[in-house]
Amino acid sequence: MLTLQRLIADLTAFWEGEGCLIEQPYDLPVGAGTMHPATFLRVLGPEPWRCAYVQPSRRPADGRYGENPMRLGRHMQLQVVLKPSPADVQQMYLRSLERLGVVLAEHDVRFEEDNWESPTLGAWGVGWQVVMDGMEITQFTYFQQAGGIDLSPVTAEITYGLERIAMFLSKAASVFDVQWNDALTYGQVRRRDEVEMSKYDFEVADVELAAWMLERHEKEARRCLDAGLVLPAYEATLVCSHQFNILDARGAVSATDRVGLVRRIRDLACACARAYVSGKEGSRFPLSEPEPAIY
Amino acid sequence: MKSLDFVFEIRTEEIPAPALMPARLELARRLNEALADEGLAPESSESFATPRRLAVVLRGLPERQADRSTEVLGPPAANAFDSNGKPTKAAQGFAKAQKVDVAELVVVDSPRGKTVAARRMIPGREAADVLGEVVPRVVEELSFPKTMRWGVGDRSFVRPVRGVLAVLGGRVVSMEVLGVAAGDRTVGHRVLSDSEIRVTGPDDYLSGLRGAFVEPDGEARRMLILDRARRLAAEVGGQIEAHADLASTLSDLVEWPGLVRGSFAPEFLELPEEITVTAMRTHQKYVPVRGPGGLLPHFVAVMDNSEDRKGFIAKGSEWVLNARLADARFFFEADVQQRLEARVPALEHLTFQDRLGDYRQKTRRLEDLSEEIARLVGRADLVEAVRSAAFLSKADLTTLVVKEFTDLQGIMGGIYARRERHPDAVWKAIYDQYRPASGSDDPPREVSGAILSLADRFDSLCSLFRIGLVPTGSKDPYALRRAALGAVTIAIARNWRTDWRPIARKALSLLPADLPGPGPEQTLEELGRFFAERLRAVLERRGHSYDEISAVLNVGIWDFADAADRARALSDARRHMDFRALILAFKRIRNIVGSDTPGAPDPKLYRENAERVLAADFLQAKQAIAAFVGERLYREAMETIASIAPSLDRFFVDVLVNCPEEDLKRNRLALLASIQKEFTSLADFSEIVVEK
Repeated sequence: MLTLQRLIADLTAFWEGEGCLIEQPYDLPVGAGTMHPATFLRVLGPEPWRCAYVQPSRRPADGRYGENPMRLGRHMQLQVVLKPSPADVQQMYLRSLERLGVVLAEHDVRFEEDNWESPTLGAWGVGWQVVMDGMEITQFTYFQQAGGIDLSPVTAEITYGLERIAMFLSKAASVFDVQWNDALTYGQVRRRDEVEMSKYDFEVADVELAAWMLERHEKEARRCLDAGLVLPAYEATLVCSHQFNILDARGAVSATDRVGLVRRIRDLACACARAYVSGKEGSRFPLSEPEPAIY
Repeated sequence: MKSLDFVFEIRTEEIPAPALMPARLELARRLNEALADEGLAPESSESFATPRRLAVVLRGLPERQADRSTEVLGPPAANAFDSNGKPTKAAQGFAKAQKVDVAELVVVDSPRGKTVAARRMIPGREAADVLGEVVPRVVEELSFPKTMRWGVGDRSFVRPVRGVLAVLGGRVVSMEVLGVAAGDRTVGHRVLSDSEIRVTGPDDYLSGLRGAFVEPDGEARRMLILDRARRLAAEVGGQIEAHADLASTLSDLVEWPGLVRGSFAPEFLELPEEITVTAMRTHQKYVPVRGPGGLLPHFVAVMDNSEDRKGFIAKGSEWVLNARLADARFFFEADVQQRLEARVPALEHLTFQDRLGDYRQKTRRLEDLSEEIARLVGRADLVEAVRSAAFLSKADLTTLVVKEFTDLQGIMGGIYARRERHPDAVWKAIYDQYRPASGSDDPPREVSGAILSLADRFDSLCSLFRIGLVPTGSKDPYALRRAALGAVTIAIARNWRTDWRPIARKALSLLPADLPGPGPEQTLEELGRFFAERLRAVLERRGHSYDEISAVLNVGIWDFADAADRARALSDARRHMDFRALILAFKRIRNIVGSDTPGAPDPKLYRENAERVLAADFLQAKQAIAAFVGERLYREAMETIASIAPSLDRFFVDVLVNCPEEDLKRNRLALLASIQKEFTSLADFSEIVVEK
């Protein structure tokens, strides 16, 4: 039986076999696997990098109180980054589907244009959504810019929507019917979380607290940047981004505010990116060395 | 000379469908142009494209360029040879610089007199060498809406380049395109074929691809899709809706199209058809199937595969569509819990534009503007209907269905208004308010819809121009070009003859007075130029030539329908009569009169017979033209104008305008100026181009 955890284990093993370092989920709320420092910071600069990890991704505005069969306020992504992008990256991706038991000739797999942009990260890329038998299962992106910095070498980012793929492969009518393991369904494990978090994000979350946290963490990020601390500054930026999403779900962001807030968070992300690159230059990009130093 | 066949293919990762055809055509055009410049034009040229490759096949390419000789002039012959006829230092130096033996120098006649010259034969280059230079340059210069970098990041193209094939007369042409060396191999379908194909020429290239599940010809893929889709629809007693765009997009998404038919749960047929069709066509790119009694619960999907061996593809497509429709039904049922009217206040939280405020404010302006337009076009009876339609027009922006299916804005509002039993004139106006949505779309069906659509367009154009948000180059974030084009199209389709400036002024007057940006008058001027460009585009599409359009627009643009009529009359009249003499005469008048306005001519000062004849003909024509124009018989009016050409000609032959007598001269100028003024009220004939 196809289970969610089998899917994760198989994909992880596949990418491990392709030379990826297997990272762990980042321990702060993020909206996408891209925000994990293993992607956002590592795509910067010249060092080669291959990495894969699962990242739970919180999108408060997508919550549906556990009532919608396809929408979740928190879902899981399997994120793969390959830098520089290998010449056979599409074939690698297709082999990963075969690893899941998909016989490609029995399906319709297409790469349809879908370019990606994250205004809050100052990042954009060009690529496709991978559509299998009519279902979008993966976002495939060549990163062109992150933190406002043109990227060279270019990273290929492959983001699998894990719940979607599990649903699709098991033809479950609802995400909550997907088997997590042989004994429990996704609904049994997660539905209550979805109900509570939707209620919190849409109705209960303290708008003033969220606004205050955003404000304070913006200052904290600046303070850390002044102290030359890139990761702490970036973590504070992630908090700002998440608090912004909560404010948004609570309907507390007007269209005018939105432009300003997005710009403030982007400014922080760009400053972090610049600080990371200059810090790396200081240490002569250790991962580029034949004998990687400890970083 | 021997001729050879050339096959070129560049393989990439999936090129976006909309970029495919332009790229194929541009590649073929530029390559042919570049080769023609090199004296290597082929006998025939074909081009091919799939999502993963662009290809050009040139047959009958000369094997090499023709040899050519050049002649370089050197010093004068007198300086080149001494008295003994021996070459001087000057001649020797020249010969050395030109790399010829001094004995080979010749003496030729040149504009400078007898001159020494070096003649050299430049042998033609091999076609393969020229191709090796030209092809990479042409490919690198192709233009795409968006390019990207990959790998080490030093190249840029529409998508990463993964292979290049270049074969001339059975041999690889040595070249490197975007960092990839050319070879004589290609590959077939990504999934259905796993071996390389060796190519020696056009025939085994094309047959090799087809054998490896790649149809290189986009038109063949499109025809196959349409044909098979019709058959699959017929099997369930239905037809596919002719939708050319969808078939073209689908054919550009696959290398080897196969089709499957699927079904969705019949209960979803209870949803408004627009939602179901949009979910299929726009979101899933499926072709809807229609029976005699309406939509059927079936669809046809295109796959990049020859067959659906295990039925997974049909089943997967059905599963996805049913999930989408379930979502849509959830949204729809939630939406109808709240009447449109009750949604209107929420528009205060929806920004139209930062400085211009929210959508509630916009709908207030639309109410007033719609009323103004209704009165202007003589439909005061519709004032109440268009005001209600305007009041409700943007309420659907707050509905879940429109948030999910943005293409359905307006249409959903119309559907919800119909459910709430608003009169036809109201719900249809809301439904059609964004039409025409594209160049090929029809204008609104009802008068009320035309009025609301015009009001919305004038409001957006006037307000955004007012704060300086004028489209520039490719930047038109508020789609103002389309807004203006639609306004022109509607006015012409409805044949509403009116000067639209009062509506533009009204729209500007409804805005806050203290907005930053150009003032109302300057805004109106800029808008006039903007509308003129759109009107020009509409008239071009109606088959009028550039100079005819200029002639018509020089005289006035703000009555769009009238301008269209004048253009048609001018084209018709030119087809039936010789305008050449008239146009030359008007060009002459323009040159003589310039920008003077010398007043009315005095008949007592006519001296020459030709002057009197012209004045009399003019007077007679003037009355006839006034009568024709009064009845908008523009073609007749223009033919009457043309009939004055012989007497104008005679005038210019017999009469000296710039005569020594100042009073006679002024009077002659006055006569010509009145003719010019009177006869150019329909079109500025001096703009028309005539062959000399």
